[in-house]
Amino acid sequence: MMRLYGEKRANLARVFAARLRSVAEAEDLIQDLFLKVQALGDLEVEGDGSALLFRMANNLMLDRLRSQARAGARDEGWRSLQVTTLGDQQTIDAPSAEDVVTSRQRLKVMMATLETLPAPIARAFTLHKLQGLSHAETAAQMGVSRSSIEKHVSAALKALIAKLP
Amino acid sequence: MTRSQADIETAIGWLVRLQGEAATESDWHAFDAWLTASLVHAEAYDAAQAFDQRLDLDARLAEHAPAAAPATDNVVPLRQSHRAWAWSAGAAIAAALVAGAVLVPASGVMGGQETTYSTGVGERKTIALDDGTRIELNAASSLTVRFERKTRHVALGDAQAFFDVAKDPKRPFLIEAGDTQVRVVGTAFDVRHRDGQVAVAVQRGEVEVRPADANPFRLRPGQGLSHAEGQADARLATVAIEEVSGWRQGRLIYRDQPLSQVVGDLNRLFPRPVKLADAKAADMRLSGVLIVDEQDAMVGRLSHLLPVRTTTTKDAIVIRAR
Repeated sequence: MMRLYGEKRANLARVFAARLRSVAEAEDLIQDLFLKVQALGDLEVEGDGSALLFRMANNLMLDRLRSQARAGARDEGWRSLQVTTLGDQQTIDAPSAEDVVTSRQRLKVMMATLETLPAPIARAFTLHKLQGLSHAETAAQMGVSRSSIEKHVSAALKALIAKLP
Repeated sequence: MTRSQADIETAIGWLVRLQGEAATESDWHAFDAWLTASLVHAEAYDAAQAFDQRLDLDARLAEHAPAAAPATDNVVPLRQSHRAWAWSAGAAIAAALVAGAVLVPASGVMGGQETTYSTGVGERKTIALDDGTRIELNAASSLTVRFERKTRHVALGDAQAFFDVAKDPKRPFLIEAGDTQVRVVGTAFDVRHRDGQVAVAVQRGEVEVRPADANPFRLRPGQGLSHAEGQADARLATVAIEEVSGWRQGRLIYRDQPLSQVVGDLNRLFPRPVKLADAKAADMRLSGVLIVDEQDAMVGRLSHLLPVRTTTTKDAIVIRAR
């Protein structure tokens, strides 16, 4: 099981970085998973060990999400990018003026590119990415399926990656 | 550029699927199989992920006035005067072995006078320069600072350091790391100069890097450059700065790095040497986080992450391929 963990940990970290919107949090989660796997000892696992690892990591993530009662994914994303937790205090590094200017310029390009895209694609991307709705919430708001939202958001990202360095 | 447009598009499809709340076990299997099928896939995915993260950052930064810190409960703005405190707390978290100290040069470093700073094995230091620049020096590192009227100079020996350079457009800050020059005005970034390799990763602002008299590269936040001394070329990549400078929080974070580098890092943290018994072990690649605590525990975790066996004697720890 430990060997399998070694093989799969980088890919598991990628999955949970996407789901948690934070590389650092995903690394922490996968480190916790290490402790769980270690606790299994030499236990031989019947059947699909890779799926078991995924389920264990998923459960750890759900535990965390429950216990944190977080203030929305967007706030958390912001904090994980900018804040270092030291003991029970958090410190924050305020963004520099030039970073803010650069980001505003990039955002302008982003908005201009969105305007060239079909309306449902731009709307799905704006609701999800800029207003922070989940895929399910965006789907409900637009009255379409979740898989359509996935397609719209992917299409917007593909267009944007071509326009922004 | 080896990765194709099609790979990037597939990578974006995966990223969005995984960000949706409904990723299943079969998604995991298919994703894992796709990543494992080719290194190019993993690279394309990481690039898509970094791009997406950058978009989030842009959206967030654009909303913020530069001076205004987000309204969060127990948040202390990390300004110059708080840094000393922040750093000693951070160092305390790391390891009993790692000492944190803020050094303020007694006589200043103006007028061409040189000051050399160094750390021993397992030691870290924060250096506060007269101009407001702060340098965090990793273990077993040395650098020399020389301030002149029109420039600020730092020469890196065998070292890793994180620079938070005070802004002064009239007096650029120049760092020499082997055959590579780094030039900035006011930014935060990490420089590593070890074993003939130079790596620069940028957190804030813009950094100009000129490896071996080549044309200078301009790096932006989230970008990194790596260069082998003596070679004419350099590699640019998107990097996660919190990973590169994880050492500041007592975490060593690796993405596909050779075990020989990991062992080099361990040997800068602990006096008892860790040795590699064979080339096969030295060439193994590690991806993962090592929390800096005790040497035995760290080496023990390595043997779970990689197919190696370790033997501990009184004066060395030997790692060999299993």
